[in-house]
Amino acid sequence: MNHKLNEQTTPFMPTRGVIRSIIPMAADNMLFQITVNGSGLPNCLPGQFVQLWVPGVGESPISVCSGHVGSTLELMVRKVGRVTSALFQMQEGDWVGLRGPYGHGFPMNSLEGKDICLIAGGLGVAPIRSVWQYILDHREKYGRVVLIYGMRHSVDLLFRQEFALLHRRRDMDVFIAAEELLGPALPPVSVQLGRVTDMINLADLEGNFEVAVCGPPVMYKYVVAELKKKNIPESKIWLSLERHMKCGIGKCGHCFIGGALTCQAGPVFNLTDLRLLPEVIECA
Amino acid sequence: MSQSLLLKKTDFSIFFQTLKSLGKFFAPVRVSEQSFSFKEIETEAQIAWEALRTILPPKKFFYPPSETLVEYSGNEIREVKPEMNFQVLFGVHPCDLAGLGIMDTIFEAGPADTHYLQRRKESLIIGLSCMPDKYCFCKSMGTSCATKGYDIFLTDLGDAFFVQVETPRGIESLENCRQIFTSVSETDKDNYKDYWERRDKAFTNGFEPDNLRATMDMEWNNEIWDELGKRCLSCGNCTPVCPTCYCFDLVDIASLNGDSGSRVREWDSCQFVGFAQVAGDYNFRPTPVDRLKFWYRHKLHGFDDPYGFKTCVGCGRCTVSCPAGIDDLVDVVKKLQGQRESRNDSSEAGGENESQIK
Ligand SMILES: Cc1cc2nc3c(=O)[nH]c(=O)nc-3n(C[C@H](O)[C@H](O)[C@H](O)COP(=O)(O)OP(=O)(O)OC[C@H]3O[C@@H](n4cnc5c(N)ncnc54)[C@H](O)[C@@H]3O)c2cc1C
Ligand code: SF4
Ligand code: SF4
Ligand code: FES
Repeated sequence: MNHKLNEQTTPFMPTRGVIRSIIPMAADNMLFQITVNGSGLPNCLPGQFVQLWVPGVGESPISVCSGHVGSTLELMVRKVGRVTSALFQMQEGDWVGLRGPYGHGFPMNSLEGKDICLIAGGLGVAPIRSVWQYILDHREKYGRVVLIYGMRHSVDLLFRQEFALLHRRRDMDVFIAAEELLGPALPPVSVQLGRVTDMINLADLEGNFEVAVCGPPVMYKYVVAELKKKNIPESKIWLSLERHMKCGIGKCGHCFIGGALTCQAGPVFNLTDLRLLPEVIECA
Repeated sequence: MSQSLLLKKTDFSIFFQTLKSLGKFFAPVRVSEQSFSFKEIETEAQIAWEALRTILPPKKFFYPPSETLVEYSGNEIREVKPEMNFQVLFGVHPCDLAGLGIMDTIFEAGPADTHYLQRRKESLIIGLSCMPDKYCFCKSMGTSCATKGYDIFLTDLGDAFFVQVETPRGIESLENCRQIFTSVSETDKDNYKDYWERRDKAFTNGFEPDNLRATMDMEWNNEIWDELGKRCLSCGNCTPVCPTCYCFDLVDIASLNGDSGSRVREWDSCQFVGFAQVAGDYNFRPTPVDRLKFWYRHKLHGFDDPYGFKTCVGCGRCTVSCPAGIDDLVDVVKKLQGQRESRNDSSEAGGENESQIK
């Protein structure tokens, strides 16, 4: 056992971060830009997450949603309960706590040289954004890029300005689908009526594609089925799973599925690995 | 390598006094007709030598049911180090020592849990041999003989203890009473072997552990889980009493004006409905059936991956503390194994015998 324990800090110690800006994206969805000094956070990789602490209220696991993290971290948060509501009450200049980055993200190194298809459903666009930003920062290292983003109602579209720019790029295909067109028209982003699976069907995925997926748990099995129709093998499908995560470091037990602690072995898994774990309802 | 010594029971008082002078001394004490608990004691007479399973396992000494990890006030965040005196834990049986070994592995794995390890470091653990009762099944789980997790282990040889000293801390703790220990004779060694042979034969509870992993995998969809789960009250009794259940929640406790507060770790249970729930009302284990089955699998197969061990040490606490009478691991495993045999029989005979699992 270690004999220098007294000097060691508990892994539950958060680092202070200051909210620099709060940008509303859709009803109950805001982008928080947080400045943190002197922590491991600038080394985040796409698909990793942090534990965001609102002092006096609690912590929530939130995906890092930008591809490069300097001293500023971007977190896209949806208000769903206690911690997230308390965060929405906070103002620019207030401080929060952060732990992380945690987990295994998307395998950006081994995806080099491949064509990449990114599929996001709803708030799943947050971690997927870190992937496309990373790829665009290292554009020459990757082949064709197809980005598919689906949501229930078109008013829930997140990162609208950014999608307007992405749409204009010639080095990627962008498909945005809403099940219902609701609310004001959304120029300059063109939204098609339909589901994520319809967009997969439309997209040209001929080539050497690897696929990264993040969305609500119910979405995965339909997406996987559609990808199979496009002859994408399971070994080329990467899913990011959401589980209840209290600690993020393999201690609290909340995220255990079958034989893996999602917070450490995941949250991003290759589909072939998930097939071996009971309880992964996403690919049932 | 451990050092073997002999301690005559007539000299135990001196040993007790020496250990007691090292710090707080905890041992199993009888708290009701049927139950025992690890408590701080003052006199040797308080030790309940006959105790097998205490209500709570000794994990509570290293991982308390509730503890503050971090505090904040104003702009400042600081860690709250565990405050403790050196503690001596006496009378820990092999199952619980194995349980501590499992807790050690989990909390030592990176990033290490400094609160747990700090408490572990400030403790001396004295193991004690035991004769199984009708609920003990450590033998089936491979945890019936302690191999680690203690500093000193005592085997009861009638009028003396066979003492195994395993750690430098154990050797150090005997320094002030070294004169009461003698070296072991060939007869003492024979008596020691006899004791463990007798004990090995004393088990009446248990199952054939071969292929437990395969059985749990194959029987994931067995109807026994529905049957047991329907009777489960989701009370969560089975988890705090288990020497290897370590799941927790982290909660904030804020002062009234909100400028200060603390982050507290509290024992949690996978049997509670919200344990695996995520936003959008997705619950990965919504029913008691899902949760009970998860718990069984975790105990009997669960940490084969990623740690390479099962997390049941066969202490029998869950069985005796389950108000619905469904946490009988031995009975369940036997049914899962038995059903496999009878299913083979019935397929040969072409008959159905689902009703056998009752
Ligand atoms: C790896 C990962 C990445 C995530 N990324 C994002 C993100 O980028 N943006 C975002 O808005 N949300 C994200 N979430 C979801 C977010 O963590 C939860 O919505 C948030 O914890 C809810 O906290 P709350 O206190 O507001 O809700 P509560 O009032 O506590 O409960 C509301 C719901 O959230 C669930 N929940 C509560 N605590 C947790 C927890 N610790 N982990 C998971 N679910 C919980 C509850 O079971 C309940 O269903 C992510 C979750 C995970 C596991
Ligand atoms: S389960 Fe084994 S080690 Fe535990 S009290 Fe019973 S016999 Fe002793
Ligand atoms: S599962 Fe039951 S018998 Fe096994 S170690 Fe836990 S409490 Fe003891
Ligand atoms: S979040 Fe605590 S173990 Fe994974």
